[in-house]
Amino acid sequence: MSYNNMVRGRIQKLVLFSFLLLIIFAGRLVQVQAVQAESYTARAQNELMNSSVLLAPRGNITDINGVELARSIAAINVVVDQTMIADPKLTASVVAPILSMKESDLTTLLTGTRRYQIIAKNVAPAVWKDLTSTLQNYNDVALKARGGVAKRIVGFFSERGYIRTYPTGALASTLVGITNDAGDGAAGLEASLNSVLAGTNGKYIYANGAGTIIPGSQQIKTEAKAGTSIRLTIDRDIQWVAQAAIVAAVKSAHAKSGTVIVMDPTTGALIAEASAPTFDPSIKKSISVDALRNPAVQDVYEPGSTGKIITYSAAIEEGKITPTTVLTIPYSLKRGGKSFKDHEKHSTERLTATGALAISSNTGAIQVGETMSNPTLYDYLARYGIGQSTNSHLLGESTGILHPVSAWSRTSAPTIAFGQGYSLTALQATSVFATIANDGVRVTPNIVAGLIDQSGNYSPTKLQSSSRVVSSATAKQIRTMLESVVSANGTAPEAAIPGYRVAGKTGTAMRIDEKCGCYKGYTASFIGFAPADAPKYVVSVTIQDPQGLHWGGSLGGPVFKQVMSFVLQSRHIPPTPTKSVTYPLTESELKKANLAKAQALAKKLASSLAKTTTLVLR
Amino acid sequence: MKKVTGNLRSNFRAFDKWLTLSVFLLLVMGTLLVYAATKQWFQTQGLDPQYYLKRHILNIFIGVLLTWGTTLIDYRLLRAYTPILWGLGTLSLLAVLVPGVGSTVNGAKSWIALPGGFQLQPAELAKISVIVGMAMILAEGRGVNSAPTDIDVLRALAIAAIPMLLIILQPDLGEVLIISAAVISIIAISGAPSRWVVGLLLLGVLGSFVAVKSGVIHQYQLKRLQSFVDPTADPQQSGYQLRQSRITIGSGGVLGKGLFNGPQTNGRFVPEQQTDFIFTVAGEELGFLGSGFILLCFGLFFFRAFMIARRTNDLFGRLVCVGVIAWFAFQTFENIGMTMGLMPMTGVPLPFMSYGGSSMFANLIGLGLLQNVHLRSR
Repeated sequence: MSYNNMVRGRIQKLVLFSFLLLIIFAGRLVQVQAVQAESYTARAQNELMNSSVLLAPRGNITDINGVELARSIAAINVVVDQTMIADPKLTASVVAPILSMKESDLTTLLTGTRRYQIIAKNVAPAVWKDLTSTLQNYNDVALKARGGVAKRIVGFFSERGYIRTYPTGALASTLVGITNDAGDGAAGLEASLNSVLAGTNGKYIYANGAGTIIPGSQQIKTEAKAGTSIRLTIDRDIQWVAQAAIVAAVKSAHAKSGTVIVMDPTTGALIAEASAPTFDPSIKKSISVDALRNPAVQDVYEPGSTGKIITYSAAIEEGKITPTTVLTIPYSLKRGGKSFKDHEKHSTERLTATGALAISSNTGAIQVGETMSNPTLYDYLARYGIGQSTNSHLLGESTGILHPVSAWSRTSAPTIAFGQGYSLTALQATSVFATIANDGVRVTPNIVAGLIDQSGNYSPTKLQSSSRVVSSATAKQIRTMLESVVSANGTAPEAAIPGYRVAGKTGTAMRIDEKCGCYKGYTASFIGFAPADAPKYVVSVTIQDPQGLHWGGSLGGPVFKQVMSFVLQSRHIPPTPTKSVTYPLTESELKKANLAKAQALAKKLASSLAKTTTLVLR
Repeated sequence: MKKVTGNLRSNFRAFDKWLTLSVFLLLVMGTLLVYAATKQWFQTQGLDPQYYLKRHILNIFIGVLLTWGTTLIDYRLLRAYTPILWGLGTLSLLAVLVPGVGSTVNGAKSWIALPGGFQLQPAELAKISVIVGMAMILAEGRGVNSAPTDIDVLRALAIAAIPMLLIILQPDLGEVLIISAAVISIIAISGAPSRWVVGLLLLGVLGSFVAVKSGVIHQYQLKRLQSFVDPTADPQQSGYQLRQSRITIGSGGVLGKGLFNGPQTNGRFVPEQQTDFIFTVAGEELGFLGSGFILLCFGLFFFRAFMIARRTNDLFGRLVCVGVIAWFAFQTFENIGMTMGLMPMTGVPLPFMSYGGSSMFANLIGLGLLQNVHLRSR
C-alpha cells in the first residue's frame, strides 16, 4: 500500500507541477497581451512600418522654343534591407551580373545590419525588372526544396529616382551646368536656380515583411511636388553656331578661354551664351572643376579699347565733344609721370573724335576723358553697370572691379579713359554696347524667359528693370562713330557683313595674369551690333590669353561676323537699305566735307533764291 | 468486416470524451492558424494559398486513422511488439545518420526522404518506442505493489540511452530534452528509489546547461542546435526570433487582430510560424482570449490524461500514460514558453497544432495510446 501511495503521491506532484506551469504561462500571457500589450503593439508598428522618400522630379531647362537642354528621366535606386540578406555572398553572385557590379563590392554592401542601404543608384527601369524577375525565378526554384523559405533571396526594394540628362551635350554646358550625385545643382544655372528647379520630395510609408512590401500597405503621406521647369531666352540654334565658332577660335588661337554672348538689347535677353572650353555633362568623371566655370560671368578682365565708348559717350553726353571735334593725336602722351602710347607708332595727327575712336587711339581717349572731372567719369562707369552685378541669375557672377574715385592715383583717370585699370565680365561689357544699341537705355541682362509649373502653366518673367545712361541722341552718334570701326579704315574690317550696316569696337587689352598679378598676355575682344541704324542684336566675342596674333579685330571680328550673320538670317532681319553714313575721320576730311556741305548749301540757297527771284520778278 | 466497423464505432464511443474534445478543439484551431500563417504570403508569392492547409488536413486525417489503429488492439498486447518497435526506431535513427539516406535540414540530419516528396522524422517514432520500451521493462514481472530494482532502472535507462545518443548526433536538442522528460517521469512514477529521480533530474539540468553553454560558445553549434534558421535573422542578433515572437504575441492584445488579419503574421516577421511558432499566430490574431483558450484546452487534456494514468491498475499502462503525458507536457511548455520568452529556444513543434506530418502522426498515436489505456482500464 505504501508503494501505491508513493506512486499516487508522485503522480499528484507531477499534476501539481504541470498545473503550476500552466498558471505561470497564463500569467505571462496576461502580462504580455494585456499589461504590456500597448508597448508591444507600438513595437510591432515600428517594426512593420517603413517610410521612404518619394523623390520629386526636377524641372526641365529648355531653350526659348522649348527644346530641352536639361531634363529628368525616371530611374530606379536599388535598396536593400541588410537584415533580410541571409547569405550575402550567394546573393551577390546572383545579383551582381544584373547590376554590372563587382561581386566583392556588392557583398560588402549586402553585409551588415542596416535596414536601408542603397546598392545601385539610377538604374534603368528595365534593369530593375530584370532583377525582380531573376530573383522570382531563383526563389521559385529555391522554394521547391525543404526549408526553401530560408534559401530565398529577399530584401530588395526599389525606390523611384531620376537621372538628369542633357540632350544637347556640350552645347550649353557651362551655362546650364550640372547636378551632383544627390541631384542638386552643382554648377551653372542648375546651381543658381536650384531652388526653382528642385521639387519637394514626398514621403510614403509601407509595411514590409519576409522581403516584400505587404500588398496594399503602401500609403502616400506627402505627395512629391515636381520642380518648376525653366524656359531660357537662349535659342538653341544660335547657341550652336556661337558655341562652334568660339570653340574653333579658342582652339586656333591657343587661347585660355573664350566667350560669345548674343543679346537682344531691347529686352536684355541672352539669346546665346557660349564659352570655351566646354565639357560633356554626360561624362561626369571627366569634368574638372575648372571646366565648370562660366567665363562669361566668372572671369573678369580689363576691357581695353571696347571700354573707350564709355569715355566717348560720356563726353558727348556732357557736351564736351561732338563726333567731329578735332583732336591732336600724338603717338605718346605723358600723364602723372608715365607715358601712354598708342598701339602702333605714328606721327602726330589731327583727327576727329570719330577718327580717334576708329583707330582706337589711347592718347585720343585720354584727351577725351580729360574733358570731364574724375567723379563724372566714375559716374558714367557706374551707370553702365561696371562694378555691379547684373543679377542675371548666372552662377558665381562677378561684379568686376571699379575702385572709388577716392582711391584713384594720378594715372587712374587716363588709364580708365582707354579701358584699363578696371575690370568687368564679358556680360557687363556686352551690356555696355547693348545700352548704346538700345538708344542709351540699359536693360538688366536676363536669361530666364519664363517658368513652367508642374501643371504646365507658363508664366513669363516680368520685364527687366531699365535705366537711361545716355540720351538717345548721344547713343545714335556713338553708333554712327562705331560704324567706322568696321570700315576699311577701322580696326576691324573683318567684322563687316555685306548688305548690313554693322557697328562695333575692337578691344586688345593688357591682361592681368592671376598667377603673377601683373600684366601678361592679352584679352582680344570685339563687341558689335547690327543693323547699326536700328540695332536688333548685340554680339560680343571675348578671347582670353591668345597666343601669337592677339588683335581684337582679327581674332574677334571673324567670330562676330560668323555669329551675327547667322543671327540676322535666322531671325529674318532684312538687309539694311541705307548706305552707311559715318563722320569724317580726319581734320582734312572734315574740312572737305564741310566745304562740300557749304557748297551744297550754297547751291541750294542759290537755286531757291533764283526761284524766289523769278517769282517776285513775275 | 462488419465486426471491424462495429469495433470502430464502439471504440470511438468509449473514448474519454473530454480528452477527445480537447484534442479536437486543438486540431481545429491549429488548422485555422496554419492556414492563417501561410495564406497571405503564399498568395503574394503567386503560390497556392491553401498549400499548407491541404497538407495539414491530410496529415490530421492520416493521424486520426493512426489513433484509431492504435486503439484497436489491447495495449497490453503491444508489449509483444515492443522490441520490434524499438528496433525499428533505433534503425531509422541510424539510417538518418547515413549519408544519402538522411537529409540535412537547417544543419541537422533529422529526416529521411521518402519517395513522393514525403519526409519522415524518425525521432518521433523513436520517442514512442522509448516510452513503451521503458514502460515494458519497468512493469515486467512485478506486481502493482513492488518497486523496481536498481537493475530494472539501469536496463530501462539503457533502452532510452541508445536512441537518445543517436538523436544527439543529429543533433536535435529539443527531441533529446523531450525524451529526457519522459524518461525521468516514467522512472519516478514506476516507484523507483528517490535517488534515481533526484539524480536524473540533476543530470538532466546539468546536461542541458552544458549543451546550451557549449552552443553559446560555438555560434555555429548553437545554430545547428536551434534546428530552424530564420530567413530574416540578423546573425549578430540571436534574439531576433525571440523578440519578434514576443512582439507578435503582445501586439495581439486581449481580443486579437482577428483571424487572417495579423500584420506581423502576414508579414512573416516570425520565421517558421506555421510550425514551431504557431502560438504567435494565435497570440496576434486571436489575442489573449484565443491563446488563453488554447492553454485551457491543454490544461483539460493533461488533466484527463493524468486521470487515466491514476485510474488504471495496470503498471505498464500507467507508465505508458505518464511517458506520453510527460512528452506532451514538456513539448507544450517548451514550445509556448519559448515563444513567450520563458524558455530557451529549441525547435519543437506545438502538439496537435503545429504543421508537420511526422509530429502530427506521433501526437495522434500518443493520443491513441492514452485512449487505449482508458478503454482497457474500465
